[in-house]
Parts: sequence; structure tokens; C-alpha cells
Amino acid sequence: MAYFIIFLLYPALSALYYSFTDWDLRTDAAWVGLANYADLIFDDVKYPHFWKSVQVTLQYTLIAVPLTLGTALAQALLLNAIRRGSNVFRLLLFLPVVTAEAAVGAIWRWLYDPQYGLVNSFLGLFGIPGQNWLNTPELVIPALAFIAAWQCGISMIIYLAGLKGIPDSIREAAIIDGATPVQRFWRVVFPMLRPTTFYLLVTGVIAALQVFGLVYVIFSGGGGKSVTGGPEQSGLTYVLHLYLFAFRYDAMGAACAMSFILFVFIMIITALQFKFVKQEAS
Amino acid sequence: MIRRVTGTAAGVALLIGLAACGGGSDKAAEAKTLTYWMFQDRTPQAGEVVEKLRTDFEKANGVTVKIVKIPKDDYNTKLGSAIASGSVPDVGILDQPLVSRYALDGTIKEMPAGTVDEKAYYEGALNTNRVNDKLYGLPVDHTAVALFYNKKFVPAPPKTWDELKQMTAKIHQDDPKTAGMVVPKGDGYGAWMWPGIVAGAGGSLVDEKDKKILFDQQPGVDALQLWVDLLPSSPRAITDSDKAFENGLAGMMISGPWDVANIKDQFPDLQFGTAPLPYKTQPAGNIGGENAVVFTKGKNADLAWKWLAYLTNSDNNTKLSQALGGFPTNIAAAERDAATFGPDQAAFLEQLKVAQARPALPQWIQINDEIIAPAIESALSGKVTSQQALSDAAAKTRALLGWTG
Repeated sequence: MAYFIIFLLYPALSALYYSFTDWDLRTDAAWVGLANYADLIFDDVKYPHFWKSVQVTLQYTLIAVPLTLGTALAQALLLNAIRRGSNVFRLLLFLPVVTAEAAVGAIWRWLYDPQYGLVNSFLGLFGIPGQNWLNTPELVIPALAFIAAWQCGISMIIYLAGLKGIPDSIREAAIIDGATPVQRFWRVVFPMLRPTTFYLLVTGVIAALQVFGLVYVIFSGGGGKSVTGGPEQSGLTYVLHLYLFAFRYDAMGAACAMSFILFVFIMIITALQFKFVKQEAS
Repeated sequence: MIRRVTGTAAGVALLIGLAACGGGSDKAAEAKTLTYWMFQDRTPQAGEVVEKLRTDFEKANGVTVKIVKIPKDDYNTKLGSAIASGSVPDVGILDQPLVSRYALDGTIKEMPAGTVDEKAYYEGALNTNRVNDKLYGLPVDHTAVALFYNKKFVPAPPKTWDELKQMTAKIHQDDPKTAGMVVPKGDGYGAWMWPGIVAGAGGSLVDEKDKKILFDQQPGVDALQLWVDLLPSSPRAITDSDKAFENGLAGMMISGPWDVANIKDQFPDLQFGTAPLPYKTQPAGNIGGENAVVFTKGKNADLAWKWLAYLTNSDNNTKLSQALGGFPTNIAAAERDAATFGPDQAAFLEQLKVAQARPALPQWIQINDEIIAPAIESALSGKVTSQQALSDAAAKTRALLGWTG
């Protein structure tokens, strides 16, 4: 209870208070009412990239979440099917999750390198011309989403647990009824996994809307260079934008307001998912 | 129920513990202790230099200096949080563009008259501490960017913009897989270097006294157009590769003295030289480096200023600034030790003589990142002309600052 008050409720409520103030961390906060919220939404002189960051984040969420879930499910199905060496593969597929974000960023900067990158070499095998992934505005979000899918280990483990939870008798019954593997997957396995998918969808969307560490390390590149969100702000996610205002441009009040706008948005999105997405296994 | 009681008790104990941490400890010891915040050491040797300076100062003054080292990327975040929670250091490093913000809202102290002899410091470096004609700190070290060139492609470094353009064109023409030069990008870093180019055409970014934006005038447009003109002979697909210059994929780049050591260390075979930035009408450059300030809410202001004067005096400033990766700001120190810098550093020393401080506006970082950087990017990507990009950026800057000029 004390933990809840000190570390969760108090910071959240003070952030709410500061979102109604003009505060730079150093001087006393001045009450400005709803001005921060209004300026964020309508004043493109003060916050020229607010809507850009919203757009970037939504695009990222729309690409990264399905890609992550699909990859996780595919990996879980493969792991579930093999009998020998499954522990080794489980470890390998889970490794990206426990790797430090800074190392992940460094590795992927290298993989996406326009001259030496393995991604381009791989595409070259199929005759696809190399791309300048992290410096072409249109390619930045897909490139980031792909890294997220690569890090899908936790979703994969949860899917694997879900697959293990499907009773063998159901599968066997389907086989006896003459269902092909594809039919078995779409008619039996996937519907049985619906609660798992729903859980991963909700948590995945929440995580994607808050993506920060990955873009930060990818675009800072460890060179101590300032992070302005990639070429033409194409990688300026909402939380990176928030971070810049909080700690680089000294507008903590506005940053608190941004965090509450995000909070409300996440609540709405989550409520909508609960209302419209099927959650029960069938 | 029992669990809830223990929980509450633990919470209360925790609160008391937190309060105790915030409270004052022994007053006598406090008067003789100074807390100094700085960036984390770049090398172990740098740590030794700082340690030596600290113990000497402690012995000479009978005090304790507590040095807190923080990674550069986290520094401003930590400092902001410390100030907000009232646990500020007494004295510490502050990024140059932050000095005006912190000075205007009273977070840092004005330097008392007579603390140091102002003439002992390079003017450009000292001016990065000046807000409304008052000094709010001392420059610990300063630095500038210069032109790095690969001797394989560039026999003699270009002095003017025309020579630079011819040379990049020739490098790329001779071998289409080699870029003429790593052209800076429209990001925060590129926007930081750009004022030096503008100054090379005889311009500056703003006129703070008359509240006028100047970067959309001809020198600014020419400076941006220079980068646009260099791009065709310096394709991004080559220069965006990691360490393109170091790997011999690009003939030239603009960077700072820290890369001299990095390249020698990691690419010992690369034959490169450094030269002052090419210019249009006059030699010029930008300035960077570290300033140190005394915080208003810190203790022992007198001792703090003494410490800063000690770090920047002619005896110590060379050693310290070399450890930090920059150059001495103390003229006597720089002149006495000029020989210790070696030929690769000469170009930077040249640049520092003509380096100009950034506008001392509290909003400058935001303008740099959110207005100038995107303007540079939109011109470089060919979406608009240099003039349009800068006129547009100037209008946005005026609106943000509430200026009319």
C-alpha cells in the first residue's frame, strides 16, 4: 500500500498537477491551466512536431504489433513442433529480449549499414537493390518495426505456453475428422489461442505506443550526437518527443501534459479493444 | 490485516529514511566540502589528471572536493532532476547553450568581480558564459570543428568553397564508389556545425541586441547552398555508412579534435590530415566545449569560484582540457603549451581563434533542433530551395521568440 502511494500514485498525481503548469524543473511552476494541452494540439509554432510524432507512433504501432505477433506465433509453432533441441532454440529466440538496448541499437545500425550491412547483402541474393534503411524517411518505421519483431521472445514464450495448453485430444479429434494442417491451424489452434492473442495484442499496443529506448539508441548511435528523431523526424516517436521536451528543451510542464494525453489515448484504445476484439477461446 | 499494518509501518520508516537523507549532516564538515559534477572520463588517463588536480586543490586549501562523474548523455537529465528535487551540486559543468537559460532564471550565480582576470581567457570561449554582458561561469575547455581529409584523395586541403566543390567533384568522378565529403545532415549535430559555415560567408545567425533573425540572409543561404551543392558528389548511400571517412569511403569530413585520437587509435593506417574549414569570404568556425558554473542553491560559493579559477588557471588548464578532449581556454596556458598539441591539432587551434559563440538565447537548443535542423534537411533532400527553407525557418523562429525583425 505504501509502495503504491509513494512510487505510483504520488508521481502520477504530481505529473498531472505539473501538466497544468509552466515548469522548467528549476524555477517554481506557474499555473497555466489547460494551456499546455491546447498549445500541444493547436500551436504548431511552439510544438512543430507534435502531430508528426503522433503519426510516427501510430504508423509504428500498426506495423510493429501485427509483425511481432505474427513472428512470435510462427516461432512458437515451430518450437512446439520440434521434439529435440527445443531448449536450444528457445534460448536462441529469447536472447534478443535480454540483450541490452544499447547493444541492440549498435548491432542493428551495423546490420542496416548501406555499405556493409548484412540486411542489404541478404536482399542482394534475391537481386533486390540495397537500401539506406535508417536514413530514408519512408523506410525508418518499417526498419524499426522489424527490430521489434526480432525482439518478440516474450510473446513467443507466452504463445508457446498457450499452445502447450491446447489439449491433445482436440487436435487428435480434428485429425480423425480429416482436417488438413492448415484447417487445423485456422479452425482449431488459432481460435483456442484467442485469449493469448488478445492479451498480447493489448499489451503489445500499449508497449508500441510508448516505444522510446530503441529509437533513442538507434538515432543517437553512441556518438554523443543529439537525437532529433532521424531523417525528417521520421523516427520521432511520441515518447522521444516527450523526452526531448522534458529534458532537452526544459518544458517539463508540456512533457507532463504529453504523458497524460498518451495515458488517456492508451485507455481509450485499450477499452476499444476490450469492446471489439474477441477474447474468448472457441 | 497484519500485512497491511507492516506495509504501512515500512512505508513510514521509508519516508523517515528519505527525510533523513535530505536533511543536513554535520555543519562543520559541510563548510569544507565541495561537490563538483562533470562528465564521465573519456579515458583512464583523463581520470588520473582530474584526480591529481583534485588532491592538490584539497591539500592547498584544506578542503574536500567530491567529484561526481556522470555519462554525458545522461548529464542534463540528472542535473535537471537534481535541481528539481533540491539536491544540486555546488559547482559543475554546464553545456554552453544552457548557460543563458540557467542564468536568466537564477539557477546559477553571476561571477563576482575580480574572481579572475577576464583578459586571461580567449574571448570566444569566455563569451559562451556571457548573458546580458554579465559572466555566469568560466570555460573549462573549448573546441572547434575543422576539415579532416584523406591524403590519398586530397593532396592539399581546399581553402575556399570553390576549391572544396572542385575537389569533392573530382574525388567522386575518379571513383564513383568514393564520396567527395561527408556532408553534415539536417539533425541537431549538423545544425550545430552550420553557424561556422555561415560565419565563413561573413554572416551570423541572429542579432540578439536588435532582436533580428539573420540566418535567412545571403550568407546563410550561401552556406546551406554549399552543402546542397556538395551532395551530388557525396551520395548519402556512401556517407551514411558507419565511419565512412575512416574506412576510406569519403575524401573529407568535418569533425572535432576528439576524432583525431579516435582515428589514430582505431584506424592507424589511415593517412589523414586536418585543416581549417574552407570559407567563402573569411576564415571562421563554431565553438563548443565545456563551461563550469556555480549553482545558486549550492553551498560555499567562494570556494566554488576558487575551484573554477584553479581549473582554468594557466598552470592547470592545458592538462585538464586535454584530458577532456578540448583545448585550453586560458591564453597563457595555450601559448606556453602550444608545442604539446602536435601538428594534427594545429587546425583546431587556428579555428578557435576565429570561432564564434552560439546565440545566447534560452530557446536556442530548441530552435537548433526543431527549426534549423529540419530546414537544413528539407533543403538537402531537395524538397525546397535553400532560400525557401531558411525563410520559412526564420519565420518560425520569429514566431517562437516573439520577434519582428
